[in-house]
Amino acid sequence: MWTTLGYLARRCGALLLTLAVVVVLNFVLVRAAPGDPVRILAGMDQPSPEMVEALTRRYGLDQPLAVQFWAYVRSLLQGDLGRSITFERPVSQLIAQTVGPTLLLTLTATLLAFALGVALGTVSGTRPRSRLDALLSLAAYLLYAMPPFWLGMMGMLVFASWLGWLPTSGMYDVRSPQTGLAHWLDVAHHLVLPAATLALVQMPVFYRVTRASVVQVLGDDFVTTLRAAGLRPGTIFRRYVLKNALLPSVTMLGLQLGYVLAGAALVEVVFSWPGMGRLTLNAIYRRDFPLVMGIYLVVSAAVAVGALITDLVYGWLDPRIRYG
Amino acid sequence: MTRDLAAPEAGGRPPAAAEPVLEIRGLRVSYDAPTGRVQAVAGLDLVLRPGDSVGLVGESGSGKSTVALAVMGLLPAGGRVDAGQVRLLGRDLTTLPEHELRAVRWRQAAMVFQKAMSAFSPVHRLADHFVDVWRAHRPERGRRARSLALERARVLLEAVGLRPDALWAYPHTLSGGMLQRALIALALVHQPRLLILDEATTALDVVTQAQVLSEVARLQREFDLTTLVISHDIGVVAALCRRVAVLYAGHLVEEGPVQQVLEAPRHPYTAALVRAFPRLRGPRRRLESIPGTLPDLTRPPQGCVFADRCPRAAGACREGPPPVEHSGGRMVRCRFPLGGDAGA
Repeated sequence: MWTTLGYLARRCGALLLTLAVVVVLNFVLVRAAPGDPVRILAGMDQPSPEMVEALTRRYGLDQPLAVQFWAYVRSLLQGDLGRSITFERPVSQLIAQTVGPTLLLTLTATLLAFALGVALGTVSGTRPRSRLDALLSLAAYLLYAMPPFWLGMMGMLVFASWLGWLPTSGMYDVRSPQTGLAHWLDVAHHLVLPAATLALVQMPVFYRVTRASVVQVLGDDFVTTLRAAGLRPGTIFRRYVLKNALLPSVTMLGLQLGYVLAGAALVEVVFSWPGMGRLTLNAIYRRDFPLVMGIYLVVSAAVAVGALITDLVYGWLDPRIRYG
Repeated sequence: MTRDLAAPEAGGRPPAAAEPVLEIRGLRVSYDAPTGRVQAVAGLDLVLRPGDSVGLVGESGSGKSTVALAVMGLLPAGGRVDAGQVRLLGRDLTTLPEHELRAVRWRQAAMVFQKAMSAFSPVHRLADHFVDVWRAHRPERGRRARSLALERARVLLEAVGLRPDALWAYPHTLSGGMLQRALIALALVHQPRLLILDEATTALDVVTQAQVLSEVARLQREFDLTTLVISHDIGVVAALCRRVAVLYAGHLVEEGPVQQVLEAPRHPYTAALVRAFPRLRGPRRRLESIPGTLPDLTRPPQGCVFADRCPRAAGACREGPPPVEHSGGRMVRCRFPLGGDAGA
């Protein structure tokens, strides 16, 4: 128990250190990129030098980098992510608004991909080199090779435009806003296509990992022991093979969960989903330094926390892993 | 002691003591291979009577483990019994459907595998294995099944020299010797009549091996076991068995009381095998390896399978199968056996 707590404390320390490095890197990288926000704000059409100068001063961009960095760190320590230059609103507010829709989309999609990938991987892994296995493997390769935005557009074309079963874009119907349960049903309806798109492109990874691991575990010696002992194959599979075979898939799930905030940008753009991915792209286009840095910081924190949770869950599932 | 260790239902033993526990007749097993079917076991006869302990020795690839797997009905995909019978307590296992085989496994015949290190699931406690193996052949369910199974497991773990709280250990926290003992305990859960030890001590260091061997020798008596010991190590067989059967390229070449066979082998292959092992007592001798390798088993030779490596082989050996000679409880399959005076 105490070793676990000590381990947790050390991991949290490492997490803070990671985030500190991220803060420095973000600051440097964002400013090293070509272009600056003043250019965008002032317009490309021969802005007056006075206006450019005024804007530059207003956002503190005339100060030396070290001074800018110190100001940034000081406000971060006070929990302030700064103000967006282009949206004229606090960065934290913009992120808070978009993090919900993104989590709804990506968590749904990732869990769906995990469930589907593990189920199909188990089907394939228990009958390797069969016709069904070959078919599933081929389908998984095709999906893996497919760009998510293209798959999204095809889904939109077929299920929204031709069949008219599903809405094309957005998170809810803006023309007739609903409340209560009707609102959530509307959201679920809008969620189907983007979540399915994201789930289908993530699924092959879980499928391949699960299939390989089921094949390997079924050949393990302990399976022979249990078969020799007269256990039914179904019992052996449910009680022993699955728990062994799922370990790598759980690792994959943890790694994927780290990218829940950042991984869906293209799909969000295709489906006009009001999430963080779209916000990120806009911030980058407009060289909105504070917003870009704020988003990167939150995403990095999510990845780091996701990795920590994965390690903890893994240690709980696999007794061979001990914290020390 | 024996009474304490017996399984709860151990009263239902067949009374006919002379009936063989295991009777293998004309067993032929082959495997699929890229170049055709490999004849792994070519017409094997072996009888184990109650209380017998028979060692099956031979070099790698001689078909020893295949015999064990065929008895348990666990031949891997591509493996097949082509002919013969494997009668366990009178019932031919080669014709039993899978679900009836399952009922036979572990209750009538149990097996201890070579790789104890990987014979338990790494993410389950030993207790889980004992409970599930126990439940596989018992009607009790739920909490009652669990407590009965654990009770039996504790008795057995103590019988093999482990502390009962090893039940709560995960396999990776135990040593190879401890796991091998635990595996032996697991094999005894349903008080089997026949225990097959397939290279059960091969992976252990010599000190641990000696300890485990003496435990097994004691268990043979306490649990009234009939044992089939499969090993390439004639020392292991000498320690555990009363009789030894020598397998070469799927053929039984010699069989008899262990001391007689090892001290005065009649088949040239047995003699070579004995010379290939070091002795602790007696004058120092040079170890001799056996030149050559096993014949190509996809095209078994017409004559004696050992002829190509045999120092005594003559032309006649390659023309037809060697004659089988029985005398004084010994069998040898050779045209020119050693020690002709012991023969007829």
